[in-house]
Amino acid sequence: MVERNIGLTVFCHALLLLGGALVFIPLYFVFVAGSLTMQELHQVPFPLLPGGHFLDNVTEAWNAGNFSRLYLNSLIVTVGIVVGKIAISLLAAFAITYFRFPFRMTVFWLIFVSLMLPVEVRIIPTYEAVADVASPVRWLLGALGLSGSIESLTGYSIETSLHWNLVNTYSGLILPLIASASATFLFRQFFLTVPDELCEAARIDGAGPIKFFFDILLPLAKSNIAALAIILFIYGWNQYLWPLLFTTDKDMATAILGLKLLVPSQDSDPTWNLAMSGALFVMLPPTAVILVMQRWFTKGLVDAGK
Amino acid sequence: MPATRSLSRWGAPLGAPLSLPGFLRRRWLTPSEAGLKASHFRRPVYAAWLVAPQLLILLFFFFIPSGKALSLAFVQVDPFGGTTMFVGLDNFTDLLASAAYRDSAVMTFWFVLGQSAATLLLAGLLAFATDHVLRGRFVYKNVILLPYAVAPAISGVIWAFLFNTAVGPVSGFLHGLGLPWDPNLRTQDALILVTVATVWKHICYDYIFMVAALLAVPQSLREAAAIDGAGPVRRFLTISIPLMMPTIFFLIVMNFVYGMFETFAIIDAITRGGPAGATTTLVYKVYQDGFVQLNLGASAAESVILMVISIAFTVLQFRAVENKVSYQV
Amino acid sequence: MKSSIRNLAAGAALIGALATAGLPAQAQDKVSVEWWYANTGRIAEAIEQLIADFNASQDKYTVVGVHKGNYEETMAAAVSAYRVKQQPAMLQAAERGFLTMQKSRAVVPVSKLMADQGYDIDWKGFIAPVAGFYIVDDAPAALPFNSSTPIFWYDADEFKAAGFDKPADTWQELEKQLYALKDKGVTDCSMALANDFFWSLIENYSAINDYPFGTRANGLKGLDTEFVYNTTPVVGQVERLKRWIDDGVLQIAGQGLSPTQLFTSGTCATYVASTAAHAAVEAGAEFNWSATIMPHEEGVDPRNSTIGGAAIWVMKGKSKDEMAATAAFLDFVAQPQTQVWWSETTGYVPVTKAAYEEMKTEGYFKEHPTREIALRQLSRGTPTDNSWGFRFGNHNQTTAILVEELQAVWTGQKTAQEALDTAVERGNAILRQYEKLHARD
Repeated sequence: MVERNIGLTVFCHALLLLGGALVFIPLYFVFVAGSLTMQELHQVPFPLLPGGHFLDNVTEAWNAGNFSRLYLNSLIVTVGIVVGKIAISLLAAFAITYFRFPFRMTVFWLIFVSLMLPVEVRIIPTYEAVADVASPVRWLLGALGLSGSIESLTGYSIETSLHWNLVNTYSGLILPLIASASATFLFRQFFLTVPDELCEAARIDGAGPIKFFFDILLPLAKSNIAALAIILFIYGWNQYLWPLLFTTDKDMATAILGLKLLVPSQDSDPTWNLAMSGALFVMLPPTAVILVMQRWFTKGLVDAGK
Repeated sequence: MPATRSLSRWGAPLGAPLSLPGFLRRRWLTPSEAGLKASHFRRPVYAAWLVAPQLLILLFFFFIPSGKALSLAFVQVDPFGGTTMFVGLDNFTDLLASAAYRDSAVMTFWFVLGQSAATLLLAGLLAFATDHVLRGRFVYKNVILLPYAVAPAISGVIWAFLFNTAVGPVSGFLHGLGLPWDPNLRTQDALILVTVATVWKHICYDYIFMVAALLAVPQSLREAAAIDGAGPVRRFLTISIPLMMPTIFFLIVMNFVYGMFETFAIIDAITRGGPAGATTTLVYKVYQDGFVQLNLGASAAESVILMVISIAFTVLQFRAVENKVSYQV
Repeated sequence: MKSSIRNLAAGAALIGALATAGLPAQAQDKVSVEWWYANTGRIAEAIEQLIADFNASQDKYTVVGVHKGNYEETMAAAVSAYRVKQQPAMLQAAERGFLTMQKSRAVVPVSKLMADQGYDIDWKGFIAPVAGFYIVDDAPAALPFNSSTPIFWYDADEFKAAGFDKPADTWQELEKQLYALKDKGVTDCSMALANDFFWSLIENYSAINDYPFGTRANGLKGLDTEFVYNTTPVVGQVERLKRWIDDGVLQIAGQGLSPTQLFTSGTCATYVASTAAHAAVEAGAEFNWSATIMPHEEGVDPRNSTIGGAAIWVMKGKSKDEMAATAAFLDFVAQPQTQVWWSETTGYVPVTKAAYEEMKTEGYFKEHPTREIALRQLSRGTPTDNSWGFRFGNHNQTTAILVEELQAVWTGQKTAQEALDTAVERGNAILRQYEKLHARD
């Protein structure tokens, strides 16, 4: 900061060290567990130092779970979710804060209410929606009495040909998860803090809303986008219930599903060592993302120095 | 330069009839301005196109499925859909009459409040400390952010193992201190364990946003305050926090959402809602009843109640806090 | 900045293209059907081996095994898939969900399928408790697949060290032995509590000792059944278990630890669990372990125990070819040789008398005497109304209620009688709801 306050600095370091340690201890135990053999896991008291089998366990776990394919799937799905969510949320938040139109607040609340219903309760009907995306359209056409006329005009029977099944596809895993409102809410909060003068200046210069959005707003939003990208990447990477239900093909499963399979249940040998080492390498991409995106944070610092 | 419009008035939907008396007309007829920039565009068509993607996706993958799910609140149904029986409000009355449900509601309230406050405070402390130290920021930030990278399924398992009465290392440590730690037999231990685990997982979320927000606080203001003689803690409290309020408000709401809705995986792994339902939050009950027990009618009714409570709380939060949030420097 | 936006957009477009491409379809000559199963680990490997053996044994049909999570997750997945007409041909569902599956109008009874497809299987060949669970109107609704029953595991070394030859036959004598083990310092924990203790220590306790768990032959005779276990010596059993917990004789494993591990690591001396724990115990225990039949109450002539596990259900709405494939696979599974292989590999009991006989004649039980305990227990005597099996609607819900109430006993919040009374009351409400819903079936 501006002045040197040694006492406070030491205190802060201590706090951060303590916080870091507390946060890190469970992960340390994951590492220890992942480096033992199955027999060594049973020891009471649990060993505090790692054993020597970490790489063996990692190899075994990786092969047992066919993780190369699963990694690829997870990557595609997660990147899709990150890009999709950020894109549509930016647009929606921009509209809600910078445009005056009828039902503006209604739209905001409609979007926001999607946070208020837990996933578990709507997952079965959402599965129906993913397996048969076009069914509301079919229903609507039927209700309006249009399906008959369309059939006679084009020869296509709506009932049989308008079927879009997204199960076991990447879109099926990505689209339902783009739908939430937290990103929109975050961007709304951020846009509200942007000084009005910027928008005024842009309008005086004759710039339309799109130009304003791309040239001025987006650059300002970078550090928020970076934070959100980290959160969304991890959110998408760690999804369990959706991929479980929406894929039946082993080759379309995600890394987390593979990891869950490694976790021993009542029936199986207590191969916790494999599961824990698996947990660590499944954690690698999110950790890498955290490390890489940090740089965008500091960039934001440089740009935003008002 | 147009003055910053005050955002303290709560916007209300349009369309109230003109026959209303003046004070109501002022509240209801004036187009809502909450959360609208003073300098804005009036291009409804543009706006429509901008919100269309999100609304469309929400329509197909949220509203329609949720409608289907919630309509089950009024029936008793066989999971496969073969037999349905309309029961009106019976599912709701059964729930509200059940002592287990009421206990769960009370527990959820305290749990959400507790873990939200704890997360915010701890993350705030760590964010302040990170901002203050000059060296090692990179390392600290990355270490503290690590729990977020751990899959919820695994983090629950880790905590269950660490604190397991029979073999857990931390449990052994606590027993060594003479504490009768046993989350299987003592409900307060189970509650503490669940709170600690959920806070651990969520601190990083609050932390990352607070660090980002602190980065955005203008250096100039802090220097000015320093010149005036304010110490770092004072500067944090009087300058940074007010400027961070939009983020803090965001985090309060998101902590609430997290505590209410996203903690079930951890609870499932650590205590399964036990012992004797002591750690069964409302959302865990929804998960148990709807997904595990396939009691679709009851879980739909619980979800409706949950939704109503959450919307009410969120509206309250918006009213109470957003009034005091000033979005402009 | 603009270029990175363009890059982002390009990336998004690429992802969109990849996403909608989906997967290439595979050319299929054979009729392929899916079987959704819930087991993991060793058992899952055995299942995959079984499927591979079937596929290799003929060239008209292919069975694809899909693991969809545990029993509940698999059931939820099947429910969702069924509602959009994408259900698999076969589903493995736990015995607790029997009525849910049978009354769902989404299944084809196995007996009907096999008869339609021209297979002639002797349905009377099932072991009595297995039949009791799955037979409706003299024919099975589902094919029993992985069935087991609880047996009493113990650490022979520790029992010898405490001066006992083997565990006692009655609960009363056993209690003395368990306390002696702890008091003599042989072990700190005399018994580990399994996660399915409601099955082994409450339901099977009722069956073995011929106490009614519910009226109407535990629901086998009608939907108007009511729970009555709060009026039987089950109350005493719960009090006994609570006593043991308080005195540190019985250890609850808790989450994050499999109770089987408490036994196989030598921490606890005994364990009441399924015979299917053979795989884990054989692999993990490094002491002289053994097993014996479950204890019974003093002065009671013990009956048979009941089964747990799962069965294979056939789902409706598949094509004729798929039904033929399913029938062929089920026929394969029901063959005695398959049953013998399955039981020897996994530790589950062979469900047909023919398979049991074959294992006897091959001398398998001479080499592995503990494997026969389950079968001896299951075939002991003639089943009574209280030991044929259990058929309650939404039994998984009523079980969850029972477990929750019993936990209140463990934490000292309620007495055994209070807890069981509440459990019966809440359980009966669910039974009545189920009865009303299916009144017109």
